[in-house]
Amino acid sequence: MTTTEGVTLTGGWIGLQGFNGDDLAANSATTDLISILESVDTPIVVVRRDSTIACFNKAAANLLGLSPSDIGRAPHDIPVIAGLPRMEERCAEVIATGLDARVDFREADRWFVVRISPYARGDRVIGTVLTFTNVTAFRASIDQAIYERECTKAIINTVADPLVVLSGDQRIQSGNRAFHAMFGVSRDETQGMPFYELANGAFELAPLRTHLTELLAGAQAFQPVEVDHVVTGKGQRTLLLDARPLSFPGHSERRVLLTFQDITARKEAEAAKDLRSKEELRRSEAFLAEGQRLSLTGSFSWRVATDEITWSEQLYRIYELEVGVPVTLDLIRTRVHPEDVTLLEKMVDQARDGSNDFEWQYRLMMPDHSIKYLHAVAHATRDRDGQPEYIAAVQDVTARRLSDEALAKARSELAHVSRITSLGAMTASIAHEVNQPLSGIMTNANTCLRMLGSEPPNVEGARETARRTIRDANRASEVITRLRALFTKKESTIEPLDLNEATREVIALSSNDLQRGRVILRQELDDDLPFVDGDRVQLQQVILNLLLNGSDAMNDIDDRPRQLVVTTARDGEDRVRVAVRDVGVGFDPRSVDTLFDAFYTTKSGGMGIGLSVSRSIVENHHGRLRAELNDGPGATFSFSLPCLQRTNTKV
Amino acid sequence: MENRLARMRSLVSVVDDDESVRESLPDLLREFGFAVRAFASAAEFLASDCVGDTRCLILDIAMPGMTGPALQRELSRRQRAIPIVFITAHRDESIRPRLLEAGAVDCLFKPFSETALLEALNVALPANGATDRIDDRGAP
Repeated sequence: MTTTEGVTLTGGWIGLQGFNGDDLAANSATTDLISILESVDTPIVVVRRDSTIACFNKAAANLLGLSPSDIGRAPHDIPVIAGLPRMEERCAEVIATGLDARVDFREADRWFVVRISPYARGDRVIGTVLTFTNVTAFRASIDQAIYERECTKAIINTVADPLVVLSGDQRIQSGNRAFHAMFGVSRDETQGMPFYELANGAFELAPLRTHLTELLAGAQAFQPVEVDHVVTGKGQRTLLLDARPLSFPGHSERRVLLTFQDITARKEAEAAKDLRSKEELRRSEAFLAEGQRLSLTGSFSWRVATDEITWSEQLYRIYELEVGVPVTLDLIRTRVHPEDVTLLEKMVDQARDGSNDFEWQYRLMMPDHSIKYLHAVAHATRDRDGQPEYIAAVQDVTARRLSDEALAKARSELAHVSRITSLGAMTASIAHEVNQPLSGIMTNANTCLRMLGSEPPNVEGARETARRTIRDANRASEVITRLRALFTKKESTIEPLDLNEATREVIALSSNDLQRGRVILRQELDDDLPFVDGDRVQLQQVILNLLLNGSDAMNDIDDRPRQLVVTTARDGEDRVRVAVRDVGVGFDPRSVDTLFDAFYTTKSGGMGIGLSVSRSIVENHHGRLRAELNDGPGATFSFSLPCLQRTNTKV
Repeated sequence: MENRLARMRSLVSVVDDDESVRESLPDLLREFGFAVRAFASAAEFLASDCVGDTRCLILDIAMPGMTGPALQRELSRRQRAIPIVFITAHRDESIRPRLLEAGAVDCLFKPFSETALLEALNVALPANGATDRIDDRGAP
């Protein structure tokens, strides 16, 4: 133990190369220490003052590839340690100064920090201790951080909008390239500059300062601020300043990232678009109003759930109410014709229940008792909240209605006049035709009497005049026969006929009358209907008669839609049938036999001629006219005719 | 008998397109004692040699070609003042006053009675006294 220094340093540690086993026995504390050092995975190498390896632990042996024979060798002779720059020099410095030194050391893909510490015994530094700390992972994370930072910097510098980071005291911390370019400043000039000094105080704005201060104080949201600013080379620009807080765990200082977005173009576009859309809106509103005024059509929307009703100006004018007064159903009711109020209420109830489009005609009675006829068409839709809403157009059809009525009146007067006229003419012509032979009869009879009464009687002359009397009587009889033929057997034109087409024409002709009677007409026409042989005009008279009869039968029906269904269909193999079904008052089943007799009628205004004539026409066409009561309300009148062979049906 | 003879000299012309009138009326007029000529149209009458001799014209109103009133106007134009008794099968009361105003003696609606015809003829051919009146002894 006399050579403690030499023994210790040259002998090495147990399990560790260079340890003297004798010492182990001598000092159990040393043994423990050695054991600890062996178990530490930090490589440790002790180097003597003379730059020879004194001892090393197992971790060092593994890292540096040391073996027991390396004890006493100089470190630069060990291949791995030879990579440590200025190793011996540094060790000498540490021995001289007694201060630690650090050296970065790379072994393959691992990085170490080598700490060189003085190895002292008593006051004397007898060597150095090299500890190797593995910093590979740490090093890698720093590299990564640097890389990320560079990427971020690249991104930030590529962003066209200026960005700047302000410190907690609102000084400029750093900015991107766009920021420096916009304000014509360099990084160095602005670093640490109070933000509000930027651009000659252009951003010294109370709201901006308030918002930034709040954000720095912990607020999460920032209300963007628009600033008009003259940018060198670009002129007046509108900048939108937005900010978000930057805070990092472990950093007490909160910073803000402030962005400058140039929204000049967008603002201009928006302004232009706004102007345009306002102008378009104004124009389309003007068009609509003008259109409504010209067509006497108003419109309204009605939210069913809330009874919120909105009227167009024209509708106010139609109702003769002051534009803008709140519209309620009660208000509407005050204007609706008393006879139509029930109808209105029915429509309102139906509209509430369903969500179907509807159409109705009603009248208004103005305070001066004048009547207006309105035609409304409503479309069911949904409002923004998904609630049922009706959008409707209401047309003032008074003028049309009145002219229709005048026309109908004129027409009926004309028909009446022409009927009277033709009846008068017919009577006159009958009288003329009959009076001629009557005149002869009377004259001959007088002559005859005179001849017989003369002295002597002229018997031969009397016989002759008597014969002429008989002849004239025959002539009179012939006249009557001819007249009968003329009026009972009208000339008819029989031709192949498409009953669908004939029916459609009649419907078109009668639609006005039907509409006036509030009749809803449905057509169920068989597209594949064979032709019939018939007189178009006569059969159309029959169809018209059936339609008008059906319509008339529903005149007093108000508790159900006045529906009239016209059907054409095949009737068995060789016949076709035209049927008109109404939901009207029907007829007394006991009277079915007399229904078609002339002068039988259920109508107060009718003569009952229609069905009688219709039956003659149908029978002249070898057909049959039938009347049946429906299962439900009303009756069905129909006729069937023999059809032509299929080959003749297509023209 | 005087009257009858006198009348035999009086020519009554009948113009009517209706054949039964042309056949029956002349016989009756002859029974009354007149000389009679019958024509089927106005043109036929105007073309005949009877215009100057006719003492009374029994004229149908409605005829093809020239109508009765047109013939009336034509005669008036020619200043032939022949008394005219219109006859017509067309009973139109409104036409009568107009014809009378234009100078017609009467307007009879067919069929007319013997009495009515005689009255019209008596107005058209006034005789020399009441006794000269044609009577209706042949009538029942």
